[in-house]
Amino acid sequence: MRARHKIRAPRRGLSHAKTDDFDSIWDVLSVSLNEINTKNASTISFEELYRHAYKIVLMMRGDDLYEKVKQLEQNWLKSNVQKLVTESISGSLVRAQNSTDAQDQSSERREAGEKFLAALKDAWEDHQLSMGMVTDVMMYMDRMIVAGQKPSIYATCMALFRDHVLNSSVRPESSLSVTDVLKSTILFMISLERSGHIIERPLIRHCIQMLEGLYETPTEEESSKLYLTVFEPALLEASKEFYQAEGQRLLQIGDATTFCRIATQRVAEEQERCRYTLAVTSEPKVLELLDEHLIRSNIEEVVNLEGTGVRHMLDHDQLDGLQNVYMLNARVDKKKQALTNVVNKRIVEMGKEINNSSILLPQAAAAAPSSGKDGDGEKKTEKGKDKERPQNQQTVSAIRWVDDILALKTKFDGVWEKAFGNDQGIQSSIGASFSNFINMNSRSSEFLSLFFDENLKKGIKGKTENEVDILLDNGIMMLRYIKDKDLFETYYKKHLSRRLLMKRSASMDAERQMISKMKMEVGNQFTQRIESMFKDMTVSEDLTANYKEHIARNGDPDQKPVDLEINVLTSTMWPMELMANPKDGAVQLPCIFPKEIDTLKSSFERFYLDKHSGRKLSWQASMGTADLRATFVRSTGKTQRYELNVSTYAMVILLLFNEIPEGESLTFDAIKERSRIPDHDLIRNLQSLAVAPKTRVLKKDPMSKDVKPTDKFLFNNDFHSPFVKVRIGVVSGGANKVENQDQRKDTEKKMNDERGGSIEAAIVRIMKQRKTLTHSQLMTETLSQLSVRFVPDVNMIKRRIESLIDREYLERVGEEPPTYGYVA
Amino acid sequence: MADSASEYVTLISHDDYEFIIPRSAACISGTIRRMLDPSSKFSEGLTGRCKLDDMSGVVLEKVCEYFCYHEKYKDQTNVPDMDIPPELCLELLMAADYLDT
Repeated sequence: MRARHKIRAPRRGLSHAKTDDFDSIWDVLSVSLNEINTKNASTISFEELYRHAYKIVLMMRGDDLYEKVKQLEQNWLKSNVQKLVTESISGSLVRAQNSTDAQDQSSERREAGEKFLAALKDAWEDHQLSMGMVTDVMMYMDRMIVAGQKPSIYATCMALFRDHVLNSSVRPESSLSVTDVLKSTILFMISLERSGHIIERPLIRHCIQMLEGLYETPTEEESSKLYLTVFEPALLEASKEFYQAEGQRLLQIGDATTFCRIATQRVAEEQERCRYTLAVTSEPKVLELLDEHLIRSNIEEVVNLEGTGVRHMLDHDQLDGLQNVYMLNARVDKKKQALTNVVNKRIVEMGKEINNSSILLPQAAAAAPSSGKDGDGEKKTEKGKDKERPQNQQTVSAIRWVDDILALKTKFDGVWEKAFGNDQGIQSSIGASFSNFINMNSRSSEFLSLFFDENLKKGIKGKTENEVDILLDNGIMMLRYIKDKDLFETYYKKHLSRRLLMKRSASMDAERQMISKMKMEVGNQFTQRIESMFKDMTVSEDLTANYKEHIARNGDPDQKPVDLEINVLTSTMWPMELMANPKDGAVQLPCIFPKEIDTLKSSFERFYLDKHSGRKLSWQASMGTADLRATFVRSTGKTQRYELNVSTYAMVILLLFNEIPEGESLTFDAIKERSRIPDHDLIRNLQSLAVAPKTRVLKKDPMSKDVKPTDKFLFNNDFHSPFVKVRIGVVSGGANKVENQDQRKDTEKKMNDERGGSIEAAIVRIMKQRKTLTHSQLMTETLSQLSVRFVPDVNMIKRRIESLIDREYLERVGEEPPTYGYVA
Repeated sequence: MADSASEYVTLISHDDYEFIIPRSAACISGTIRRMLDPSSKFSEGLTGRCKLDDMSGVVLEKVCEYFCYHEKYKDQTNVPDMDIPPELCLELLMAADYLDT
């Protein structure tokens, strides 16, 4: 424990002797305070004043001191400052109060205004400074007596400034207060700036700061700032009027580009103004007004302005303009409705144009005099290359249709990226528009498949991998827009099978790439069959090789071997309707092959069934080709050999002539009987053998273009060709073309059957899982399951449900609402 | 004589002891900080000299010691206690009140 020290008593009142009563100390203080007010404080000691104030407080007279100081400052403001400020208000300012025309006597008013603002600013700053000093001196008083009961002396003095300077009337006789003049002056300045003049921003900024620093109430809540209560409403009102007028004015100019440019500028201006001249807190409010009155109420009109609106911009690639429109629209509407609408409309319009032109073009071509039946490729050579066949023309236009759409898409992608800031909403709506008009063209699936066909056959030759990739990607993108994907699948399979069997595909790699892209886009199920087509092709290659080996080992060496290259196809995976005769439902007896071929056929059948028992091979002669070596005996006795590459049917026909004596003829019916080639194919093959000028291996009697059942044919020994190898194409198998009306109806019918199956399968799947379901729920589920592949017809679903009930897969279990149950 | 923005200020006691300490240390006191604020045009602010008429040299010395002590350990924890002679306690309390420290 430390020893206890004696605590020294504090010595009180070192200078008690000098001053110990309130009045004499106050006298000293008041003199000094006035010195402070007149900015003459450098001689005064802070410590002395502080000590005096301290003492008064210690004497328990703090309240008196507070009142005294307040009184003193009030007198000072009333007598000096107020006069100074009101004097700076010139008559013109007071008069201008009533005139609303800003441009009127603007320079005079402006000058007077600036003078007034400067005076007010000075008065305010002086007041602030001296009050700061007074507060410092009275610090002890503030701490002791004011805390919690009264506003600090500083706040009180600020309130005094408000009451006695700002709220005082300008002229004794008028009710106009200084605040009113201040308000109108600042608004006047702002309107000057809005109309392009340069104003003294810092000055206004100071006055605004003053308003921000003063409060209506002694408690000084944020919301009671003079700025908010007095000035801001007026500012907003003025802005509103200004932008309403501005909107009207700009609309009258009637130029969307100008409107958007100016509006964008205005936005930036207001932002800057609020930040540097006025108060930051007003920024959102002013901008809100601007959005409301300048943009929102006008944007639709602007976007739709004839000749300069968005449509014009789109047509002329005015990306800047579009960007402005986008920004403005984005300000007022999250969904950018106005802009999106116009863009969509335009896309659909342009799309329709493309659709129409793809229809018009072939019509125009068809109108041109070009006689003959559709789809005879051989005749093309006869007529000369310059005149293309209507159907061919249609194919070209189909491909052009796709190209046009892709170009359009690229264009809008560019616009979207550069002008619309990669906006998600707009992207999806652009997509929807594309899908909209693409699906308007009922043949879009077919056209797109033709586009792929064309490109995979020839288009990609000489292109780099990258280019091919882009090409395919573009195609896939269009596929995304097509609703009836199953239709596309059908066409694609058809075209693909031709490419594969006729070996027309330019690159297997590209084909595979295409499949994998489709798989990514539409799903596994979609490409399953197409993939298995590829598998069949590879298996067949092996098979052919194996068979060759087999023949080489076991074959009869004496017999002239016939090379066989075979493709064994799984019938469910390939579009069999291509090969089977589609004409009538009657069983078509298989074609009778010549002896040589028949042996080969049975030999292969044995070979194949040895390996795979229980399978049935059916021979599709219509898709094959054969190489023949033909000997022509000229009338001069010379012989000429040609190698003919013909279709399987044509081979069968030609070999028939081997069996008859030289110079004899066969009638159409005789050929038909001996070969059992279907009429349709027979006619076409005979046409290419006997009618086409360059490949006239047979002579026909009478010589006409059409093949009639009574026509006679005989071997043309005078056949002549500059080449040793002659390729005799058959029309039907040739190129993939746009279907004609009948074919399309056929495809559609088949499509509908297939869809019926898919719908039933989907319904059963759903019901099996859910057991019972109401009608509407079942509808929605079915629609959502199927929408990946196509958009089913509601009536068709209804019919399918009925049919399933009839066949006792489903039953009705309730009427209200209609409900179905699954019958196991 | 130091000018108003100088780094050191002078505190003068009632019995004319002068203490020259860093401005930052002195400004721990609210009173002295305001006294020396250059923007208010008091004489102390201009000269950098503060005459504290209510304080004796002994007390002011202790006050200055505290200023420096505070400055030294400003942002630390585990600060050693400052030695305050008990006999000065009351006077220091008054000074602290006056100086708003």
